[in-house]
Amino acid sequence: MKIVAGCDVGSLTSKAVIMRDGKIIGASIIRSKPRPKDSADAALESALKDAGISKDDIGYIIGTGYGRDKIGFVDEVVSEITCHGKGARWLLPSVETVIDIGGQDCKTVKIDADGQVVKFTANDKCASGTGRFLEVMAKVLGISVDDLGKLSLKAKSPITLASTCTVWAQADVIKYINSGVSIEDIGAGINTAMAARVAILVNSLKPKGDILMTGGVAKNVGVVSTLEKLLGVKIKKARKADPQIAGAIGAALLSLEKVNGKKS
Amino acid sequence: MNIFYDAATKVQSQSIIDWKAAGKPVVGYTCSYTPAEIFYAADILPVRLRGIETEGMEVGDTYFGPFICSFPKCILQLAGKGKFDFLDGAIITPGCDGMRRLDECWRKAGEDFQGIVPGYFYYFDVPHKAENHGMAWYIDEIRLLIKSIEDHFKVNVTDKKLTAAIKEFNKGRRLLKELEDLRSGDDVVVSGTEAFAATVAGTVMPRDEYTAELKKWISSLKKKKKSLSEDKKRLMVVGSVSDEIDLFQLIENTGKAIVVAENLCFGIRYEGNEVKEDGDPVEALAQHYLGSSVCPRMYGKYKERVNTLKERIDYSKVDGVVMQNIRFCDLHGAENALFARDLDKIGIPSLRVEREYGPHIDAGRMKLRINAFLEQISGKQQMKKTAERKAAVSA
Repeated sequence: MKIVAGCDVGSLTSKAVIMRDGKIIGASIIRSKPRPKDSADAALESALKDAGISKDDIGYIIGTGYGRDKIGFVDEVVSEITCHGKGARWLLPSVETVIDIGGQDCKTVKIDADGQVVKFTANDKCASGTGRFLEVMAKVLGISVDDLGKLSLKAKSPITLASTCTVWAQADVIKYINSGVSIEDIGAGINTAMAARVAILVNSLKPKGDILMTGGVAKNVGVVSTLEKLLGVKIKKARKADPQIAGAIGAALLSLEKVNGKKS
Repeated sequence: MNIFYDAATKVQSQSIIDWKAAGKPVVGYTCSYTPAEIFYAADILPVRLRGIETEGMEVGDTYFGPFICSFPKCILQLAGKGKFDFLDGAIITPGCDGMRRLDECWRKAGEDFQGIVPGYFYYFDVPHKAENHGMAWYIDEIRLLIKSIEDHFKVNVTDKKLTAAIKEFNKGRRLLKELEDLRSGDDVVVSGTEAFAATVAGTVMPRDEYTAELKKWISSLKKKKKSLSEDKKRLMVVGSVSDEIDLFQLIENTGKAIVVAENLCFGIRYEGNEVKEDGDPVEALAQHYLGSSVCPRMYGKYKERVNTLKERIDYSKVDGVVMQNIRFCDLHGAENALFARDLDKIGIPSLRVEREYGPHIDAGRMKLRINAFLEQISGKQQMKKTAERKAAVSA
């Protein structure tokens, strides 16, 4: 019996996954704290509770995410691009292209049959096309990020944002609110702008095969459906586990390879 | 090594302070198309202008606006803050359009910030083609520059002095070639950070001192045995202008990589490519500086450049290429896309990353991409080994 873990400390949320013999026995998603170390501790603690085991039971832990170097308890760190590739492959064995949208990063990763990264591309130093963009817009609309996605389904005539720059788009959204446009139409416009931005990045990598989305934004139906239209392909859904924990799953799988003596 | 590191990481290094203390003039220049030999022949210290030590961007942003490369903006920022007050002159060159605009932006800023424009301020034009009329034009430009320096600084730049300057600079070029040979071996004894610092230092140090120090340093390297490249990925760095030692440090501090080659404006691009020491020195300089297709600013030279890159990758046994470009750098941004496409065809992995020039506010972002790239290369090599093993077993 081999118990391993992966911990993904992101800019908005921190995730931990505990696996026994390649099956998830505990997982957690928490809001990231100011210090990555505290986020990692809290995420792991919550996952341990979920699994009903203690930290000493874990054989190997790999850390990932932007706060990976600050996690105290890990045996090794691996970049989130590699981890998301690995995690996505586990979530959907047929996947060849992974779109991961996190709090401050948007990445497209092409992977091979082993979940090994073949090529990747990531966003520029800009919030547009990231989870943070949606969060800022949801705040302006006074709703939760989860509800923002659903607005697209009810929209009649979605607005068009003149810019995907988070600051300018915010000004645009305020203008639409003040001129009485329905929240559904504004929300749909935001999701479309986000999807359009992501589509540029995805297309630059020439995606092929089955596409899977990971990261928190994968749960936003508005963004996903518009992205499908823009890319002209169906984006597969992860059913085995929450796509937001794909990075942590990948880290746990790499831990398992390590324990099994395979090169990670 | 410290003398190189000091020169590479400080705008006003000790050797510049010493030169000024001797009462001799210093002239800054912005582009590798400026023949530094001319200044050496006039006993003027040529110093490549850089944007390190920038702490804000209020001056740069005011005159350049937001949609332009941060490198010339950093130079203007430093000028506005008085960091280039030690300059007796500055030469602005149209290496690219952003750099060309430094000419008018610096002069305009000088109206608001008294005393930031050096007494000698010269626009040195450089054609974008090296054939016939382009070369003839460039030769004219060099002669005009020489005349202007002679008039302003009351010096005499004779052919004899120019030839002596060429000979002195060629010594450095030969030494840098030796350094590149050392970096191309199986066991590399010098880090990319050290090698890059030594190269950047060459653009700001008095040449005699530089050549002597370089000679000493390289002979000490030749005695070194400890390999720094063991179990590391051998990377090459190409793209937009960079004199940032911390970029190399960031890559090598991963502990998983060593930079064994670069194709950067401040890096080694000329090695082995000496300036002719006989004949008309001005023509020899022109043939070297304009004739070598070292920069994507030159028209119709892509094939030559990509071939140089491929040869270099082969020679230095490069595992992967980091292609960086500063935001709004059209020249390198576009070329990197072509490079990536063409290297992909021959199985060389590359990482394209857009960034800002300057103090490493981008460090976290860069680190993630570099780490992921190194993991990608490792995975690729691992797969290749496994496939080879399987093939050997089945054979």
